[in-house]
Amino acid sequence: MLDRQNYLKVKLFLKYSRDVHGRSSLQISNDFEHLKALLLWAGSQPLGSVHAFNSSLSDFLFQVGEKGLDQAELQGVLNTNQRFLLWVKAMFPVEFQNIRLSWIMKITAISKGKEVII
Amino acid sequence: MSENQNTSNCRISRNVLIKAPGLLPMLYTPREIAEDLAVPETTLRDWLNHGAPHSRDKSNHIWIDGKEFAAWVDSQRNARKKPAHPLQAGEGFCMRCNTIVKIQNGKIHPVKGHLSHLKGICPICGGIVNRGIWNAGSAELSQS
Repeated sequence: MLDRQNYLKVKLFLKYSRDVHGRSSLQISNDFEHLKALLLWAGSQPLGSVHAFNSSLSDFLFQVGEKGLDQAELQGVLNTNQRFLLWVKAMFPVEFQNIRLSWIMKITAISKGKEVII
Repeated sequence: MSENQNTSNCRISRNVLIKAPGLLPMLYTPREIAEDLAVPETTLRDWLNHGAPHSRDKSNHIWIDGKEFAAWVDSQRNARKKPAHPLQAGEGFCMRCNTIVKIQNGKIHPVKGHLSHLKGICPICGGIVNRGIWNAGSAELSQS
């Protein structure tokens, strides 16, 4: 079972994106699909402790994507997750104080040797 | 604890059939799942009354497991499928009676290539029944 608080934070972020940044319904839908990867990666753990996970998000995406992911799709998923983590750290500074900005900025980096899988 | 009150089939829209597999393995409230599937909450509560899997906590709040609900939606799709009944040799579909009948006095006319045309009479209404036969070596041809 996934952590409901993580899901609620994702929903809050999507609402914020729509209301404040004026993102369209299609963009919101795409963002939610991308953020599902983060929710599945975190599982039952709170998002505040994701930096301590053994595997990286990109490695998790490679494991889950049975049909394969192309570079652009993977980069899009990672970018959305980076935006979300930056937002959540700004909105919940106490809960996410252990997650460093440098770690969030590095989340979009793809491991060497896994650049392109189609 | 889960509760199923009525297990009759529900009409599930195509949009829900597409979106339901994307539900996450977690507990949703009815409002959340209705938002994710883009259906009115009243519709969702109607499905719950018709046997959609859900549970209630001590405060009597309803919780829906995303994966269980997706499996239920999939089962509803399969339940609504009509069983296929391929036409047997000498059978045809009468458009007047709206049913499959055994063609009487059937005559076969070759059309083109492997395609032939079986024309006969419906034993119920006496109307003309037509049927295309794809394979020239089919059972209808051997019967005639």
